[in-house]
Amino acid sequence: MTRILTGICVLAFAASIAAQSTPVHRSYDTEFLGPPLADPVLQHAKETFVLFGCAYCHGLNLVSRGEATDLMHSALVGRDENGSRIGPLLRAGIPQTAKLSPMPQFSDLSDQQIAALVTWIHYARQQGRYQELTAAPVRTGDATAGKAYFERTCSMCHAVDRDLAGIGRKHDAPALRAAILEPKGLKSERSFTSARLNDTKLGPAQQRHHALLENYSAEEVANVVAYLASVR
Amino acid sequence: MDLTRRDFGKVVIASVSELALLQSTRDAWGQPHPGQNRSLINGVQFGLQPFCYHDLAMTRENRGELIRRLVRNGMGMVELHATWVEPRFNDPGVSAAAARDKMRAWRLSPPAGYYRGIRKELDDAGVAVFTYYVNFDDSYTDAEIDATFEGAKILGARGCVGSFGLAVSRRLVPFPGRHGMFVGLHNHDNLSDPDAYASEASMVTGLSLSPDFKMMLDTRHFTAADGDCVGFLERHHDRMAGMHVGDRRKHNGRSAPFGEGDAPIIELLRTVRDNRWPIVALLEFEHGTLRPEIEEVDLMFDYCKRAVA
Repeated sequence: MTRILTGICVLAFAASIAAQSTPVHRSYDTEFLGPPLADPVLQHAKETFVLFGCAYCHGLNLVSRGEATDLMHSALVGRDENGSRIGPLLRAGIPQTAKLSPMPQFSDLSDQQIAALVTWIHYARQQGRYQELTAAPVRTGDATAGKAYFERTCSMCHAVDRDLAGIGRKHDAPALRAAILEPKGLKSERSFTSARLNDTKLGPAQQRHHALLENYSAEEVANVVAYLASVR
Repeated sequence: MDLTRRDFGKVVIASVSELALLQSTRDAWGQPHPGQNRSLINGVQFGLQPFCYHDLAMTRENRGELIRRLVRNGMGMVELHATWVEPRFNDPGVSAAAARDKMRAWRLSPPAGYYRGIRKELDDAGVAVFTYYVNFDDSYTDAEIDATFEGAKILGARGCVGSFGLAVSRRLVPFPGRHGMFVGLHNHDNLSDPDAYASEASMVTGLSLSPDFKMMLDTRHFTAADGDCVGFLERHHDRMAGMHVGDRRKHNGRSAPFGEGDAPIIELLRTVRDNRWPIVALLEFEHGTLRPEIEEVDLMFDYCKRAVA
């Protein structure tokens, strides 16, 4: 009996060594897709974007190829909230177009698949716009225009006599700019569970900042920075 | 290996059949390139439109990698897009107009032996160029069109194909005959553009412009445009040079892996095989995959091989 047990142990050990030394064949195109993302929600969204062929025309990171719409700067994507505009367009396609190949319709996709595509489009757009804005030369803003923008866009959550009181004394212009462009949570990793919870509890503020990031112009950022810097 | 008389008979019949098919290809296109037999399967000549390698930018710098992949995928024939051959002049700071002028000047006087050098690269790897893909448009001068056909001919191409419509086609009428080549009409699926090749009627109109015009039927686009691919093949096979073989869903539907869309790929390939028509099947797909593209080409090619087995 002892011999049998020893034999089993030896075989098991040999098998584990063999398993470690055998190269694992992964049919995953890291050259095109890049290394897997730590955030599983985003990784799934990215893979969905590739699997349905979106990446080949619109670009994996939304740098479009050929005649495909530039999703990084599309006004429709900028106005979309959780697929409110992108979803119906995906289902219907754009059959009437001046382009060589009309945008196909994806009417057979499930709601979850559409949601994943929307998630990736917004995420990639946020990353891309962030890079564009941070790479742009820093300009001097107009505090008056910044105040108007703040009251129109930010005042539903923030106030300069409340949470942002004296903000211009506490932070200099580069710090304010950085905080506007990269609000807390932009780079936080999620799980499928936290993503679901975010929808109902933590989401709105974060989503609002992300949506703003997708639509800021360099001029608007400079103006808001000038305004907040003047709040003493 | 022991062969029975029946086995031997089968082998002889298969060989005679293959030779007959090769002969029909030779009759239609002249002397075949020895390398193209690599992807001649049961009489159907396969090749690749390398747009399928979505991860590989279509530049002349990547041509070496392209050729390596073609050989790895068992392809002896290719539709070569001009971007794999020509330099680019759209460097930062260069205006589009200036880049276009430089390109025209280059085409009119390419470096001596330039195209022959590329032909040698392809010959050495055993890859034949079936068609040269060029998006002719109004910016091309007549001399530039002639020079492009000439370069394509040196590469071994039998024709120039492109994504242009009826208006550009009318202008191209005098050119292919001068070079002993054809113009391949390539359909897309924009049914709302009267200039585009999308419906069967539009393609018939295009073909009527010149006997030197041949159809390069794109099965993906024609399926998405609700066209009848098999019917088109049966009705117009004598005016077809090849097919871009891929799958899509009907009604402007999305691209799909072979067999998962509405394009009748198996029927098309078997019709070509059974009728011994010299119509080249160039694989081209646009569906997404997480696999390396070289593996995806293998899978799609296997699907086609099984179809004609």
